[in-house]
Amino acid sequence: MSKHNVSRRQFLNYTLTGVGGFMAAGMLMPMVRFAIDPVLSADKGGDYIATKQKVSELTAEPTRVDFSFKQVDGWYESEETNTAWVYKMDDGKIIALSPICKHLGCTVAWNTDKANPNQFFCPCHYGRYTKDGVNVKGTPPISPLDVYETKEKDGILYLGRLKPHGEA
Amino acid sequence: MRWTAKELDMYSQSKEYVDTVLIPLVPLSFGGEMKQTGSMNEFLTILSLEIEKQMKGRILLMPSLQYLHNEKDKVERLKHWANEAKENNFKHVFFLTSDYEWKKDERELENHLIWIPAIPLENLEIDQARGMIGQQVLQILDIFTYNWKNEKK
Ligand code: FES
Repeated sequence: MSKHNVSRRQFLNYTLTGVGGFMAAGMLMPMVRFAIDPVLSADKGGDYIATKQKVSELTAEPTRVDFSFKQVDGWYESEETNTAWVYKMDDGKIIALSPICKHLGCTVAWNTDKANPNQFFCPCHYGRYTKDGVNVKGTPPISPLDVYETKEKDGILYLGRLKPHGEA
Repeated sequence: MRWTAKELDMYSQSKEYVDTVLIPLVPLSFGGEMKQTGSMNEFLTILSLEIEKQMKGRILLMPSLQYLHNEKDKVERLKHWANEAKENNFKHVFFLTSDYEWKKDERELENHLIWIPAIPLENLEIDQARGMIGQQVLQILDIFTYNWKNEKK
């Protein structure tokens, strides 16, 4: 905001030189998206998608893992980026939770509410989930976070279909 | 939520939860600044869709307000949009732009202006570009959460 002290000339330079970058960024993110429930979109392929996450580096602490895939979205094919919150259980089982709040679809994050540490928190209407993705009673969400199917290949984490909690 | 039939259905069913409107402000020019207005248009489209994706359940993203770069009554038009939204029970109305011109009208817009310079991304790898947009999105989300918190009694 106003803390960016950019003179008009600098600003013009920025915008003039920035065009190539915008085109690159434009390939990442669809310029036109139709209303597709993000929860459903990962369902399309059914195949597993490679992430950049090494399985050996996962811990008991949920980490953010981004992954991209091609998506046919209405009329256009585009590269879509999704996120999962991933951690390892004591027995080595990997849990990958969808960050999409089951209330109205905002993006939840791990451990961002100081009053309620070690939970997933939704900034929109203060929905909360415990580490296993189960919604905390008394907050707006009425069901647990969806779960990705996971698999390991050559030490790398692969994410598959999104399933309701308890089915992946 | 986006301004599509399906998402507006979702909005009508959950009105009490969606109290914030975001309006991107995009200049248009046929003259020397034509190309810049093109980059701003692209940049703001990407940025606002990313913000919407993170805050889908509380923010309604409007189609952008477009104006010719030398348009005189754009502030009036914007105020009209904002009032209409307020009359329809939106408590927070924010404007998102890269156009420096709006800075002059900041006071009149009651500090609901989010001005963010379009960052040069051309030398960046795709992952870096994504990272930079991600950073900007986070900063803007902070502005929203701050405003929401401070209205909470
Ligand atoms: S969208 Fe998460 S609590 Fe409402």
